[in-house]
Amino acid sequence: MTKYVVRRVAQAIPVLFGVTIITYLILALAPGGPESRFANNPRITNEVRERFLKAWGLDQPWPVQYCRWMGFCNPDVENPVVSDAPILDHVPNPAALLGPSGWPNFLPEPISGSSNGVLHGDFGFSVQSGQYVSNMIARAALPTFILAAFALVIWIGIAVLMGVYAAIHRYSFFDQAATVFAYVGFAMPTFWLGIMLIFIFAGPGLNILPAGGMTNTRLSPPFGSEAYWAYFGREPVEAVLDIGKHLILPVFTLVVVNIAGDSRFVRASMLEALNQDYVRTAKAKGLPGRAVTFKHALRNAMLPVLTNIGLEIPFLFTGAIVTETIFSWPGIGNLTIDATRNFDYPVLMGVLLISSTVVVLANLLADVAYAFVDPRIKY
Amino acid sequence: MTETLSTPAPLGAPPPRDVLLEVRNLRTSFRVLDGVVPAVDGISFSLRRGQTLGIVGESGSGKSVTALTIMRLIDIPPGVIGEGSEVWFDGQELLSIPLGKMRRIRGNDIAMIFQEPLTSLNPVFTIGDQIAEQVQLHLKVSKKEAWDRAIEAIRLVGIPSPERRVKQYPHEMSGGMRQRVMIAMGISCEPKLLIADEPTTALDVTIQAQILELLKTIQQRTRSALLLITHDLGVVAEMVDNVIVMYTGQIVEQGTVDQVLLQPRAPYTMGLIESIPTVEKRGGRLSVITGVVPSPFNLPPACRFEPRCPYRWDLCRRVEPDLYPAGAAGQLARCHLHTPEGEGRRQPALEAHKVNMTAGRAFGKSR
Ligand code: SF4
Repeated sequence: MTKYVVRRVAQAIPVLFGVTIITYLILALAPGGPESRFANNPRITNEVRERFLKAWGLDQPWPVQYCRWMGFCNPDVENPVVSDAPILDHVPNPAALLGPSGWPNFLPEPISGSSNGVLHGDFGFSVQSGQYVSNMIARAALPTFILAAFALVIWIGIAVLMGVYAAIHRYSFFDQAATVFAYVGFAMPTFWLGIMLIFIFAGPGLNILPAGGMTNTRLSPPFGSEAYWAYFGREPVEAVLDIGKHLILPVFTLVVVNIAGDSRFVRASMLEALNQDYVRTAKAKGLPGRAVTFKHALRNAMLPVLTNIGLEIPFLFTGAIVTETIFSWPGIGNLTIDATRNFDYPVLMGVLLISSTVVVLANLLADVAYAFVDPRIKY
Repeated sequence: MTETLSTPAPLGAPPPRDVLLEVRNLRTSFRVLDGVVPAVDGISFSLRRGQTLGIVGESGSGKSVTALTIMRLIDIPPGVIGEGSEVWFDGQELLSIPLGKMRRIRGNDIAMIFQEPLTSLNPVFTIGDQIAEQVQLHLKVSKKEAWDRAIEAIRLVGIPSPERRVKQYPHEMSGGMRQRVMIAMGISCEPKLLIADEPTTALDVTIQAQILELLKTIQQRTRSALLLITHDLGVVAEMVDNVIVMYTGQIVEQGTVDQVLLQPRAPYTMGLIESIPTVEKRGGRLSVITGVVPSPFNLPPACRFEPRCPYRWDLCRRVEPDLYPAGAAGQLARCHLHTPEGEGRRQPALEAHKVNMTAGRAFGKSR
């Protein structure tokens, strides 16, 4: 098992490298670039534009840009910063293991000679805000995790109950109703549902829920800032209730659109299990219906469902782009959309790299979990 | 999933004590989109305690449905049990008792062994778990004792090192081993009746013989009755006292194993036996029954075997044959040859069968 996990992690490294190269290449080949932000600004002269390109290294061919982004080579080509200290004499101190951004540095300065880039623990700087991309992602991660975790737990819980119940009572009224609900949920565009919910619950009529955001900005400092945590310490109940209120509509939106597919999946899986020969055997043994359904069938039906859940884990970290945008939720999805709108390529690359890493890890996690629950699988 | 039955018609008298299982006029059909398909169409038979009975037929003849109906494992709907059907087991009529009571009989008094040992065991539980579960359920013993009994059952079916084997999962065993496990599970509560539905069909030929041998010794040792369902006349010859031959949901012939296999009286049985390759028939053409089993939607008007029968005449299209006494005492055949109208045709038909058996000439038209 340990060997298997180590091997899978080792395999993930080239995969992720491949992903970075391909995504970087696609962005590099796409028309426009960070300089497109100036396209409609008449005050930007060509000279300013050139300076901007040079300052960000965008005048270089894409492999060079890629190397710099990764942190293989120094961005300052004219004056490379080469450490004088011989590598072996270098005494590592704890601080040296961290890059200038404060994140873990996989290529400490004396080895690579450069100081920033993915391998140095940061994903470069945002073209838009000039901040470390790592910090921007870190700040957006918590809101996304809160929203996604609530939604995921609720929708998986409901989907499993609904799917299992519908399968046991196949073609019953409940099953038919669940089918209709699933198709409606499937067909309904997220943005439409979100806007309708805002219209109904946050509109002038009812006006009982906030239309967007994560906290009431009149009540508290912006979420994530130091001032906010101070406020949180002072008024924990009020702060939690405030976030809870802001969570209702986006969570509801996510649950409705995602429940559909998952409940159908659970239903199909359960139906398949109920039709298996071993279920007939269990009945022939004289087991009561409950034991047949919930011990013999359910256990088998949950195996594929578990994998499916494993593959939904990345959602906790990558966020829901549409929902976050509609409800102005300050998460990764919103960050992604902002970055795309502003041609903020470093932020976009950072988000993409994080997402692909999480997807690879979640796959691994699902496979490992499968080995625990299915005795037929051994690594 | 519903397994309830509509209230049946008033029951007949229970059979005598020494009859363990008596099936009376059993009719099971399935509601499908275009109508109702009869699967078992009015069959009756009985089985004494400790005796063995084989039900032989091609797939679709209703033999498995018969077994599943006895166990009440047919889902209703789509299944429909015909009115007037009765299944008497050990003094009780099974089709009319509450499902809870039926569950106490399943696995306890009647155990069933299925065709596919690969899929009939639950892949996510150890075999010990699966046997002990049944023992604990019916014998109300402690978990420890149930496991001991599981180990004992596994030892009894000839699986080496049972203490180790109980902790294994089905996928860790071969097909033959799994069928042994199924048998161990079947006998774990010492049932009065063991129903084996094609127990060897899914296995290698070499394993088949071992499993049959095992079934036979187990049956003799536990003195339970055995209902063996198979398409294989060879299996029947080895294993049972009495035989029922089924075709399109009806019994076409019944009698002792010697009667049915050596002196078949229904043309369908004759055809089945003629199509078995034997040493005497070597070199000759092996006969086959021409045509196919008729669709249950489109059964022949009178005798259901008529389109394929080499001995048919006009009566066979007009009047449906009943089960008539034929040949030796107790033997029954569903064929007009054994009525006064068929008197003159009977002898030639039997002669033809005899010739086919030795020369391997074609039964009906040769192919
Ligand atoms: S009744 Fe007629 S058609 Fe049917 S089996 Fe007998 S001889 Fe053949």
